[in-house]
Amino acid sequence: MILIVGGYAAGKRAYARDVLGYRDEDMSRDVRSPAPVLYGLEDAPDTPLADLLRKDVVICQEVGAGLVPVDAGERARREAVGRLCIALAREADRVVRVVCGVGMVIKG
Amino acid sequence: MELLITGGSASGKSQVAEAAAAALPGPRFYIATMRPWDDECRARIEKHRRQRAGLGFATVEHYGDLRRLDLPARGTALLECMSNLTANVLFGPDRPADPFAAVTAGLERLRAQCAHLVVVTNEVFSDGVAYDRETTAYLDLLAALNGWMGRRFDTVAEVVCGIPIVQKGALP
Repeated sequence: MILIVGGYAAGKRAYARDVLGYRDEDMSRDVRSPAPVLYGLEDAPDTPLADLLRKDVVICQEVGAGLVPVDAGERARREAVGRLCIALAREADRVVRVVCGVGMVIKG
Repeated sequence: MELLITGGSASGKSQVAEAAAAALPGPRFYIATMRPWDDECRARIEKHRRQRAGLGFATVEHYGDLRRLDLPARGTALLECMSNLTANVLFGPDRPADPFAAVTAGLERLRAQCAHLVVVTNEVFSDGVAYDRETTAYLDLLAALNGWMGRRFDTVAEVVCGIPIVQKGALP
């Protein structure tokens, strides 16, 4: 599994398309879809790790690099997204971080 | 050596900093800066305690002015974290006239007391939100302190998904 992370609109899906060769129809936000690429994980941080490991590519926005939100639910979501990405990165064959559309392989 | 470890919330920066400090010679001191305000803080503190259990750290609780911190022996100090300490200094009861000068003087005094220093800070600058004046002053101060440390320290690493990206120097 390849994990792609980066900020909002950093070019994560474009990386999956242009560098990894997936088509738009290969990508879905729904983990139950047979599509090999899952994106938008930041909106579903309670997705079981095992389901994510079945994907070829998982794309997640980095959401932790701002001030701690006042809202407790938002704080918990940020924490859950971060922890899930650490667990995914540990299992991933490759981790790519995208900045300004440029992917940097930080693992694998 | 001096190491600055940065990263967003839940990026895994603490574990990277702890592992780096554990690879440096003891005795090891963990300088805890989070005031136990409420149950959420206490739970966080407890989580961090469990995480570093067995790594041989003596915990030193110190919430404010580093110029008043005395370590019991010379070894490796891990300060966690600069974002809490900065908030304590800026919004606490004894706000210094020049917070930047006070914190950097405190860091220099701390550095003189240990053989190796690891500081954890926080990437809080990328949410694209325009904050009020007080919060902006906090962001400016933390950014200035991060820059001050980044220029002086041997190693600067940003942690992403638990993976350190070394910007400068090397991790021990």
